[in-house]
Amino acid sequence: MKLPAGAKSELIFASSLFALGLIVFVDTVREKLPAFNLTVSPKLFPYLISSILMTLSVLLAIQIVRGNQAIPEGVEEGEPIEKSDFKTFSIVLASLFAFLLLIERAGFIIAASITFFGITVAFDNKRHLRAAVFGTLFIVIIYLSFTRFLNVPLPAGIFKGIL
Amino acid sequence: MNNFESLIQGFVSALTFTNLAFGLLGTFLGTLVGVLPGIGPALAIALLLPITYTVSPSSALIMFAAIYYGAMYGGSTTSILLNTPGESGSVITALEGNKMARRGQAGAALATAAIGSFIAGTIATTILAFTAPSIADLAIKVGAADYVALMLVAFTTVSSLLGSSQIRGFISLTIGLVLGLVGADLQSGLSRLTFGNQAAVEGIETVPVIVSIFALGEALYIAARFKELGWNIIPMKGRALMSRQDWKRSWKPWIRGTFLGFPLGVIPAGGSEVPTFLSYSVEKKLSKHPEEFGKGAIEGVAGPEAANNANAAGALVPLLALGLPTSATAAVILVAFQTYQIQPGPTLFLTNGALIWTLIASLFIGNTLLLILNLPLVRVWVQLLKVPRPYLFAGIVTFAMLGAYALNASTFDVQVAIAIGILGFLFRRFGMPITPLILGLILGPNLELQFRRALQISGGDYSTLWATPLSKALYFVLILALFTPVVTRVLRKVRQRTH
Repeated sequence: MKLPAGAKSELIFASSLFALGLIVFVDTVREKLPAFNLTVSPKLFPYLISSILMTLSVLLAIQIVRGNQAIPEGVEEGEPIEKSDFKTFSIVLASLFAFLLLIERAGFIIAASITFFGITVAFDNKRHLRAAVFGTLFIVIIYLSFTRFLNVPLPAGIFKGIL
Repeated sequence: MNNFESLIQGFVSALTFTNLAFGLLGTFLGTLVGVLPGIGPALAIALLLPITYTVSPSSALIMFAAIYYGAMYGGSTTSILLNTPGESGSVITALEGNKMARRGQAGAALATAAIGSFIAGTIATTILAFTAPSIADLAIKVGAADYVALMLVAFTTVSSLLGSSQIRGFISLTIGLVLGLVGADLQSGLSRLTFGNQAAVEGIETVPVIVSIFALGEALYIAARFKELGWNIIPMKGRALMSRQDWKRSWKPWIRGTFLGFPLGVIPAGGSEVPTFLSYSVEKKLSKHPEEFGKGAIEGVAGPEAANNANAAGALVPLLALGLPTSATAAVILVAFQTYQIQPGPTLFLTNGALIWTLIASLFIGNTLLLILNLPLVRVWVQLLKVPRPYLFAGIVTFAMLGAYALNASTFDVQVAIAIGILGFLFRRFGMPITPLILGLILGPNLELQFRRALQISGGDYSTLWATPLSKALYFVLILALFTPVVTRVLRKVRQRTH
């Protein structure tokens, strides 16, 4: 059987949805019920939701095979490119992980400045020095206004006692 | 105390110097974020939530009302000058307003949008102030089984009316429900989908999910799929003013838009898409210049903008009276209330009456501040559209990460945020609507709670779920909403064949 063009990646998506449903189902089977009796079992909703998800993902897969494919969301300002650009995608993703790994080790200012800089690089900014300086300044201002004026604590990290 | 006196009390507690200062700050920030391209009101509010975490409840409410209106106003500015609607309710504004701007009437388009939104917001908030308490009175009699039916109707309408594919809408809803399952079950203590992670026992926070699915998802999507982006900002000549002729052509659409938008906000009709489209077609039918529509007719901006704003206020009725959000924006507002320990619902007017009247008064004040501040400042906002794209995205993403972390000072929330960002990318790539997911995440746990309550009262008898007249009527609506798209599709096919 020949698949419609571009259907493959969407079928992978549909099967991962099925897998998600399966994970919910298996997790629900494995949990032990409490000893006391309940009118409605806490397993009822997970069972229902996982079955619905698995059914729907099968229906979606059938639709895809029959040629009813997704219309990727449009963005007004540009023309979509045919193949995903995973290099740029990875730079954005790496910037997000940098925040996750650094926020408690190095503090908010360092973590957020690196994230900020990484995103400007991904979005094709040419003047790197300017972006780094501007980004860091912006982050310092955000840090000070949150910790001083709004009393929202953010980790100081290595700047503890200085800022 | 009657409603009017309560409202006056609300104004008294809202109109202090500190609160007004927070109101001004909220208007400013709301517009600032809302005007940024691609950011709709739901995301703008979610992004700005961390700011209100430590402010006192009444100041937070007024700031929040101001952010809300500011974000809506900012969104229409971007739609008119840049043609980038941040949400479905602004699509029509972008369509007609951008054409006006191209014809050199940007000022009039911005003015009719702002004044129309103000008038619609004021009328709609007045109706809200005098109907929500009585609806809440009625709603106290609504039983758990009726709530189950109500939520199922909201799920069905939002999943099946939004977007092009019913199956994709329902899958989005189901994934939201899965996210809502995570954590310890309140009644039995059974930990669901936590996989031994201690932080997950508390459940998944809604704020990082909403922010990430919009902001991080969009950043990843644009990074992967779009190149060579350029914006066409339309230069604004003159001031944001309307001529006598513009006023004459605008006032009726404002009023009609208000009365179309408000009731459609009260019932779960899938957000602001339907009322704005309806208002547009009504204005086109009634206009003396139907040929101008599609080329920049002022009625086509005035009506839908008023409808959009009245719709947003209408959505506050089920939100305040029943605790039931019917759009992404309303869902974010519900979350915001919960961060101030306020649980919307029928008992809200009894337990937290003073605070709710402060909120309603704040809505009036926020709306007025916006009109006073923003029409003269419109040039400042236009400058914001010139922020270079890399900086814009960097700022949004960093702020989203800050919001995710600051909520509980926990890296688990940041992990969730990144995972949801990737999910948001996949949703955009594969054409899945986002609103159903948000509703599923927020209402899922609530649905389970009411379901259990209903069955405990009936002693496990499932027929209690459709025993009352209200629930019967609601299930009828549900079936209609479920099958109308299918039936119309089949009919269309049959007609095509006969031709």
